[in-house]
Amino acid sequence: MRFPLLLLAAIAGASFAGPLIGKALGIDPAAIDLAARLAGPSAAHPLGTDELGRDVLLRLLEGGRISLAIGIAAALTAAALGTAIGLVAGYLGGLSDRLLMRLTDAVIALPLLPLLIVLAALDLGKLGLPAQLVQSDRISLLRIVVLAALVGWTTAARLVRGAALVTKNRDFVRAARSLGAGTPHILVRHILPNVLAPLIVATSLSVGDVILLESVLSFLGVGVQPPLASWGSMLNNAQELIGSAPLLAVYPGVMIFLTVVACNFLGDGLQQRLERRL
Amino acid sequence: MAAPRPGPLRRLVFAALLFASWPALAAGHNTLTIGVTQAPGPLNPNIDVLAAKSYVLGLALRPFTVYDADWRLVCLLCTRLPSIANGLAVPTNLPGGKRGVDLTYTIRDDARWADGVPVTTADVMFTYEVGRNKQSAVSNGELYRRITGITVKDAKTFTLHLDKLDFDYAAINDFVLLPAHVERTAFADPAQYRVRTRYATDPADPGLYNGPYRVSEVSPGAYIVLQRNPYWAGRPGPFRQITVRAIENTAALTANLLSGTIDMVAGEIGLPLDEAVAFDKAHGAGYHVIYKPDLAFEHVDFNLDVPALADRRVRQALAYGLDRKGLAQSLFGGRQPVADSFVSPNDVGYTGDVPHYAYDPARAAALLDAAGWHQGPGGIRRNAAGQKLSFTLMTTAGNHSRELVEQVLQSEWRRIGVDIQIKNQPARVLFGQTIPHRQFQLAMYAWISSPENVPRELFRSSEIPDAANGYSGENVAGYKNPEMDRLLDALEVELDPAKRKTMWAAIERIYATDLPSLPLYFRSDAYILPKWLHGLRPTGNQYPSTLWVTDWTVAP
Amino acid sequence: MIRFTALRLIEIAAVLLLMSFVIYGLIGLMPGDPIDLMRTADPHLSAADVARLKALYGLGQPLLVRYLAWARQALHGDLGYSRLFSAPVLSILVPRLVNSLILMGSSFVLAFAFALGLGIAAARRPRSWFDRAVNLFCFAGVSVPTFWLALVLILVFAAELGWLPASGIATPGKGGLDDRLAHLALPVLTLTLASVGGYTRYVRAAMREALAQDHIRTARAKGASEARVVWRHALRPALVPVATILALSFGSLVSGALVTETMFAYPGMGKLIFDAVMGNDYNLALAALLLATATTLAGNFAADLAYAWLDPRVSYR
Repeated sequence: MRFPLLLLAAIAGASFAGPLIGKALGIDPAAIDLAARLAGPSAAHPLGTDELGRDVLLRLLEGGRISLAIGIAAALTAAALGTAIGLVAGYLGGLSDRLLMRLTDAVIALPLLPLLIVLAALDLGKLGLPAQLVQSDRISLLRIVVLAALVGWTTAARLVRGAALVTKNRDFVRAARSLGAGTPHILVRHILPNVLAPLIVATSLSVGDVILLESVLSFLGVGVQPPLASWGSMLNNAQELIGSAPLLAVYPGVMIFLTVVACNFLGDGLQQRLERRL
Repeated sequence: MAAPRPGPLRRLVFAALLFASWPALAAGHNTLTIGVTQAPGPLNPNIDVLAAKSYVLGLALRPFTVYDADWRLVCLLCTRLPSIANGLAVPTNLPGGKRGVDLTYTIRDDARWADGVPVTTADVMFTYEVGRNKQSAVSNGELYRRITGITVKDAKTFTLHLDKLDFDYAAINDFVLLPAHVERTAFADPAQYRVRTRYATDPADPGLYNGPYRVSEVSPGAYIVLQRNPYWAGRPGPFRQITVRAIENTAALTANLLSGTIDMVAGEIGLPLDEAVAFDKAHGAGYHVIYKPDLAFEHVDFNLDVPALADRRVRQALAYGLDRKGLAQSLFGGRQPVADSFVSPNDVGYTGDVPHYAYDPARAAALLDAAGWHQGPGGIRRNAAGQKLSFTLMTTAGNHSRELVEQVLQSEWRRIGVDIQIKNQPARVLFGQTIPHRQFQLAMYAWISSPENVPRELFRSSEIPDAANGYSGENVAGYKNPEMDRLLDALEVELDPAKRKTMWAAIERIYATDLPSLPLYFRSDAYILPKWLHGLRPTGNQYPSTLWVTDWTVAP
Repeated sequence: MIRFTALRLIEIAAVLLLMSFVIYGLIGLMPGDPIDLMRTADPHLSAADVARLKALYGLGQPLLVRYLAWARQALHGDLGYSRLFSAPVLSILVPRLVNSLILMGSSFVLAFAFALGLGIAAARRPRSWFDRAVNLFCFAGVSVPTFWLALVLILVFAAELGWLPASGIATPGKGGLDDRLAHLALPVLTLTLASVGGYTRYVRAAMREALAQDHIRTARAKGASEARVVWRHALRPALVPVATILALSFGSLVSGALVTETMFAYPGMGKLIFDAVMGNDYNLALAALLLATATTLAGNFAADLAYAWLDPRVSYR
């Protein structure tokens, strides 16, 4: 419990402090040096250089920033979407519950990977989004976050609905209702706090899932676009160099592995703590 | 220089020797498995042309004419190349002052489909009928529109009537025969032909093929197996069976090669050069690796409607500010020759007498200063109005090789004060929309031409795509130069090779001076062959090495 | 029960209809059309050829008109022709579906068998070193990107050791049973390793919960043997949540092996759908996606029926 948290904090801290570390070492992560391609570790480049002579350590931290940002943003978006749907379904019950839960089942049941590919290749211009946004640098990141959230919200929705079903008949909720509290008030003030714990568990687990999903999208060529890099895209690019520079693949692979394992252990630990408390 | 061609007698002796020794040599290797990165798709030669399909069909179908590895036009299915000198090509005068030509070809006497039926002029007439029909989904409709009629002399000899007399009039490379005796029923309803063609419904029908091999098994999207054509009259192919397997993931492809699941990787549709160079470095000792520059001209298109790019000095500065040689050396192991113009050094039109843009950042800076772009804050140049010298650079997303090059361009141009924003798009968007609609500033991709291809679509001012012409034409730079227009028109119809050469030289010089695009290099293909396979000659043009499979030999 | 079945069937039909429309629309929203793609491959196509081919493939009409035309034909059982393969859609789909079911089915069975063994063993000794080792293994399995796992397996078992073929489903021209099994080994191993961790965790959690129930304690107190307690009393209730998870993984059963199929050049549904979508092959993409959806819905339906059998408390009216 404590260890995975520390590990995650260390990875995130280092990643987000990447630019500072680069400055401290006096290296520009984007600086290309064709004379020093695929160099081994040295004092100047602790982890060596990549196929364009860039510093691998700093690239790795940069990739981490993107991977983690996507992971966290998508997990939070999915949690928010799922919570909203779960709350409405669980609290209101009846027809809206049945419809929303059918929708959840349907999304879980769909062949998601192929659909994701369709969505990832959509021409956003044809959807009527403003050209400014479609052309923007960050659109590939935003697209991945949206896709991952569209896939990921179902877990949160089921959890929250379950908890809301139980909580809504508790005495304090009945009391609040009889005192004339409106539905939004009850949902936010009384029900939400009671579903927060399992939600946090689910969200921490899904950060890892999103990072993996991003690596698959990179593999399929619809992931993060250069010059941005993520661990997934670095790993994907390193495939081709496995004969000549296997370490280039090992580094991002290990980072993904550590992060996903840490997320899972964190979620696991949180869950156990919750169970003991209940 | 090409080696002197062996005389007929020597060739005969050579062939006999080869024949005698063949079974012993082939004992170890009587099958060959070729790995490619693209699945060939349905095999009808005239519908939806793909590189992978041409590669497979090179083993199984003979075109009338192609360019060989020495870039000479040669007859494969015909007996003699028509020329005005030998009287088989006769220029004609058409109404309206146009000049046409009548071309007489004779099909090889021993040419047979793999079910034993001879190849005849009935097949010629049938192919023409299919090609001319507007509903038949044939890709190259242009060719069939140019053929105004065909006169059949006998079962083997026919005359094509063309409505245009070009210098390369004898080339009918795209006129690939369909077997009338097999395909006739499928063509009963022309609109349904593309799905009813036997090439799609029963691709293992031997009657569909007339090359040294015939297709015997097709697993769509996975592999194609070819066996010898029993009715092939020429020298037999060196293998009893050839399998072409599609493995799209290049890392998996090399792993398959290492494991022996495939014997070789085709150069035409194989590994990107940077990966091949890396493979060569790690495992090259066990293989025979051939690098061959091809006709794909990698370049950066300038959109001349962008005010900053309309200034020739800026374009030249971008050329001087880029160490193309260093780039080719480090990323591609020097296997990819830097291009000075769009004409391949292998081409007859090549002169090499053009301005070179060797890496010279000081000169680049001087040119930019002269053009009014002065060093500004943050190292990015600005003009008098305070605008930044900044461009977006696009290429095909997911093409790892190009993505690497593009990041090098960004970094090197940054050093001369030019800011580059990278915005890549999937190939289908880039080529389907962005480039033809000219919605780019800088775009890096390749033109694929053919030997002595007149670059009319690329540089003539009438070929700038816009809404009025349905976005046809490939002059996406928007290049307008009356002298270039005049030369292009004249070159196309000039029959005298010497005069053509002078015109080519002039065109190249204008191009290299004006730089409507920045030449990078001619892409190289890497052929990774087993040590025991010999005689495979990459052509470097769009005609695959498989057309000469009978020249391949097996030796320890 | 009959009413329930009928309702579910209607529901499945409705979802499929809706899906067909959504997918058609989504593909329509993708940039470029098939002829533009063709022009990319063959730069010699002239503008006139492009216009002629577009008309020929019916691409000039609005999306909705094309969808309705497609739906009308599909309802008559005619799924049309695949543009990429120039063949009737079904003739392409069926062999791919069979390949996919073989691949996914065997890795599914293997992964589930291992998960049951590991999960039950771990649940019986909570917090032991064995439990922790299983836990770590599970996390490790789900934390490695599949394409990477596949590449490493090919390099080790095919390139380095030379024990197994690196790709495909059979040696062309051979295709005996042993040959096919050898070709299956690595892709199945990849998929099994990638999914066993997730299943094990579910089995372990469900088993632990089941073993903590009152009736287990009662059974133990009555002196029932440990094996009997585990297999008779705990396993059946524990399988209920596990069945849910299994039903949900049906969604990936048909189409979820895209990455594995790509790495091993294995002609399955995942790759087919990917190629059809990327190649703008409407007929093929639609039919394949609908088939995948239908299989999933059918799987869920089967799982619902399985609950009734596994858990006496569930009844369907």
